[in-house]
Amino acid sequence: MRPILLQGHERSLTQIKYNRDGDLLFSCSKDQVINVWYTHNGERLGTYDGHNGTVWTVDVDSESRFMISGAADNTLRLWNVATGKCLYTWEFPTAVKRVAFSEDDKQVVCITEQRMGYQCAIRVFNINRSGEGTKQSKEPAHMFNPIGSKATVCAFTSQPGIIFTGHESGKVSLFNFKTGEEVDNNERAHGDVVTDLQMSPDKSYCITSSKDKSARIHDTKTLDVIKTFTTETPLNSAALAANKPYVLLGGGQEAMNVTTTSTRQGKFETRFWHKVFEEEVGRVKGHFGPINTIAVHPKGLSYASGGEDGFVRVHHFDDSYFKTQPYGDLQIED
Amino acid sequence: EDQRETETVNTELLAHRRRLVDEWNAWRARSKKELAEEGYDHTKEAQSEEEKEEIE
Repeated sequence: MRPILLQGHERSLTQIKYNRDGDLLFSCSKDQVINVWYTHNGERLGTYDGHNGTVWTVDVDSESRFMISGAADNTLRLWNVATGKCLYTWEFPTAVKRVAFSEDDKQVVCITEQRMGYQCAIRVFNINRSGEGTKQSKEPAHMFNPIGSKATVCAFTSQPGIIFTGHESGKVSLFNFKTGEEVDNNERAHGDVVTDLQMSPDKSYCITSSKDKSARIHDTKTLDVIKTFTTETPLNSAALAANKPYVLLGGGQEAMNVTTTSTRQGKFETRFWHKVFEEEVGRVKGHFGPINTIAVHPKGLSYASGGEDGFVRVHHFDDSYFKTQPYGDLQIED
Repeated sequence: EDQRETETVNTELLAHRRRLVDEWNAWRARSKKELAEEGYDHTKEAQSEEEKEEIE
């Protein structure tokens, strides 16, 4: 499983995302640009220039037609994937920390930062997909300020009108985005900031990672914690493997904190855990700094990790990965 | 005797894992059934929204 190194970012990666077909990988970074790469050979297909600050977050629609990004320049931008053109820019009083498309590609949810007297806000925009995509409404279709701890991650769920959110306090919640009502929450889902959130294909469950060194699988309807994966390092990202019963976890101690804790060589590893048995099954080394973001190919053919070191590594699984059944032939439902 | 002990541990572990898999599969089956019963179809909702727009 020799990785392909994607070199092109000058600073640390913040989020990476495969498109639905898995042939493209989008990456965004503190260097203010978004790149798109061919996953089979690591060749760079293009760059999206325009943001004037750290690009915190990116998502692509199911047709790979539109891409959406959020950045520290207080803008949310809609892009034409194929031409690299910025189609529309929304401006806010604070940075955009997280974006996500809805299943039908017709809506986008975004979180803006709590700062300078502004509360954390969650907005849902209707995306006008007709024509070139340059005619968008300036105002959100829905907007609310989540009460209590600020939201750090969010995504649409399988239930209409409901989004799942992770918070700075470690809380996870379900919000009705039309009314702003917190439908349900689990205050003790994590003991520290929720750093990542990735949905299962049918959105009926999701995985979250946290600085509390654990990742958890939640039922997105009941908010029951189904599984817990406890590691020895703060986690920045957690992903669900496709067609295999694994979860992939990444993180690592920040360089500034290394001296205050026990150091261990090669701890910037992607950890594979069995998602049902909650046992670690393997690690993949490579990055020279904390792993900030992990994504899995939608068909499970490869995975990619983006690091604080500025590199993206794409790992194509080899035959042995697909053949191995380390726990026998137990059938595990997706 | 040692071997017998190892075997017992293995049998217990296997039984434990089988139980975890059964629980997981039962939960997945429940979730999928609920999703199907709610009949929430994303493509359907998209269509009805389009129709509404046309009426307007």
